[in-house]
Amino acid sequence: MRFEGVVKRFGRQKVLAGVSGELRPGRVLVVAGPNGAGKSTLLCILAGLLRPSAGDVRYLKGDEVLPREAWYPLLGVAAPDMALYEELSALENLRLFARLRCCHEGDEPLGAALEEVGLAATHHHKLVGTFSSGMRQRAKLAQAVLHRPAVLLLDEPSANLDEDGHRRVGTLLERLKPATAIAVATNDPREMAWGDEKIELAG
Amino acid sequence: MKRSSLLAESLAILWKELASELRRRVALSAIGLFAVTTLVAVAYQIGPYGLAEQDRPFLLSALLWIILFFSSMAGLARVFVKEEDSHTAPTLRLAARPHAVLLGKLAFNFLLLLALQVIVVPLYCGVMGLAVASASGLALVMLAGGAALAITATFVAALIARASGSNALFPILALPLLLPLLVAAIAGTRAAVGSPGLAAVLPALRAISSLGGVTMVTALLLFPAVWRD
Amino acid sequence: MRTALTWLLGVWLAGVIVAGLLWAPAAAGFQGDSFRIVFFHVPQAWVAVLAFCVNLVASIRYLRTRSALDDSRAGAAARLGLLFALLATITGSIFAKLEWGMFWNWDPRETSILVLLLVYAAYFALRQAVADEERRASLAAAYAVFAFVTMPFLVFVVPRVYASLHPDLVEAAEGVVRFRMDPRLRLVLLASLAGFTGLFVWLYSLEVRLARVLAARRREES
Repeated sequence: MRFEGVVKRFGRQKVLAGVSGELRPGRVLVVAGPNGAGKSTLLCILAGLLRPSAGDVRYLKGDEVLPREAWYPLLGVAAPDMALYEELSALENLRLFARLRCCHEGDEPLGAALEEVGLAATHHHKLVGTFSSGMRQRAKLAQAVLHRPAVLLLDEPSANLDEDGHRRVGTLLERLKPATAIAVATNDPREMAWGDEKIELAG
Repeated sequence: MKRSSLLAESLAILWKELASELRRRVALSAIGLFAVTTLVAVAYQIGPYGLAEQDRPFLLSALLWIILFFSSMAGLARVFVKEEDSHTAPTLRLAARPHAVLLGKLAFNFLLLLALQVIVVPLYCGVMGLAVASASGLALVMLAGGAALAITATFVAALIARASGSNALFPILALPLLLPLLVAAIAGTRAAVGSPGLAAVLPALRAISSLGGVTMVTALLLFPAVWRD
Repeated sequence: MRTALTWLLGVWLAGVIVAGLLWAPAAAGFQGDSFRIVFFHVPQAWVAVLAFCVNLVASIRYLRTRSALDDSRAGAAARLGLLFALLATITGSIFAKLEWGMFWNWDPRETSILVLLLVYAAYFALRQAVADEERRASLAAAYAVFAFVTMPFLVFVVPRVYASLHPDLVEAAEGVVRFRMDPRLRLVLLASLAGFTGLFVWLYSLEVRLARVLAARRREES
């Protein structure tokens, strides 16, 4: 996936001024910068949730440029201002997203995904509304990787997570890296260490 | 990676809406309470004897649809507004096809409206002393009218959720679009009340179904632009 | 060239006003001079509908191209449509009061122009509620297209359903259109229609030009 000269203006305020880069399977791109630099905005644009005011975002499969509609099935995203359904349990949330995205082949893969991010089986049937912020973050991550996306966009993935959580995210990225193009937006130097390439956004 | 069918996705979303609603019952309470309160207020003022006999069928039909309209305004926007408020909208946007989102939420709103009608209409007829000549005709008008109302209301709900999410905007935007439907539905109800058999309600039913068909197609065409921005 | 046409428009409209008030005879079958208001009422209603159509086209184009110019066009058309719909409703009810003794009759034509007015008002309420420019444009365009689709039902289908309930009102409304018109009346009415259309085109092009200049200035600033 390639993006060139991405500019984003909100009214009179220019948040992104011509950012370019590339995502490829096997490499982790870190988007760094102080608060307010536009990291989350850039990630939203790359995910197709926002349109850039100028510039180009292209998803390429071989030589074929994919239309925007085709991006979404390939994407897995976890971000602070994206939530799961609080009235549903963790498992029900994953079941819903599995059904929406491709296929629901029983609950075992869902349970396994939740365990991988550190949510023990006792929590699977509890409503997400009762979770702590750390547990919610873990559930969000499970949701992002469940369908084996080709492109993974993570905005502050270990926010609210303890040491164990942070380690699990690192392991998860290592596991997914060979087949997935990954971008991580972060302030945290430990997360930045995961990156093979880096883009700095000025504040 | 294979993708789910549109039907499967829509059903998944419908299931999600039903599960959410049954656990918290917010929309149902809002709509139900509004309808019952209005009904009581109207019945107190008018009741079975408060209107001249020849005016009754038409006025009572009109009042019934006014109650249904405003009750819908109280609760049908929730399907979209809540998604934006609880920040689950981006998650859903990434996971589901726009048409599945529209169809699933539309189906939910329609069921909500049907539930409302099933409770309010018999109650209304009893309390106001309204004798209906053609119950099957009335049922058809309610079904078709409810479906068409749900379509427009769901589309407008999607618009206001992406605007400021303010519920005050909902009736303002919805009323001009629903006026033709309301007029046809009132006429159909009046016909069902006055004449036995189905022949009398046919003109109104035709108007309502063509309106419903046209708005459904338009909503399907426009919704992706509204949802995905 | 443009200034010459604008002056011509001004003279034309002045001529129409004078002709409508003085030259055309009082219409037979109507209360005194009350018919004269129709010379202004009908064109206003016509322009309100024309503006709605222009808005529709601009809205559809916006949804296809996402160009800010199409959004300015849609907004300009809607502003003018609101103004003329308001004027048409007011002149229409004045006429109704003079002719039938009531300001409002709820006949299909009156109701249609009122609903059009409500649609315009709702359109602007929606625009006010959205901060982001691109989103405002898409949402407003979607609403406009949806509203356009429901309008024919109000104008054509509903009267037929309504007719079974209030036949006398429907006849009265249709009577306004079908009566025999003195050739001079017809001439003034047509001239007025042309004049008002010209007025709309002029105001619309002014608004669109202004929007273009503002957009260009904003682009230079950033």
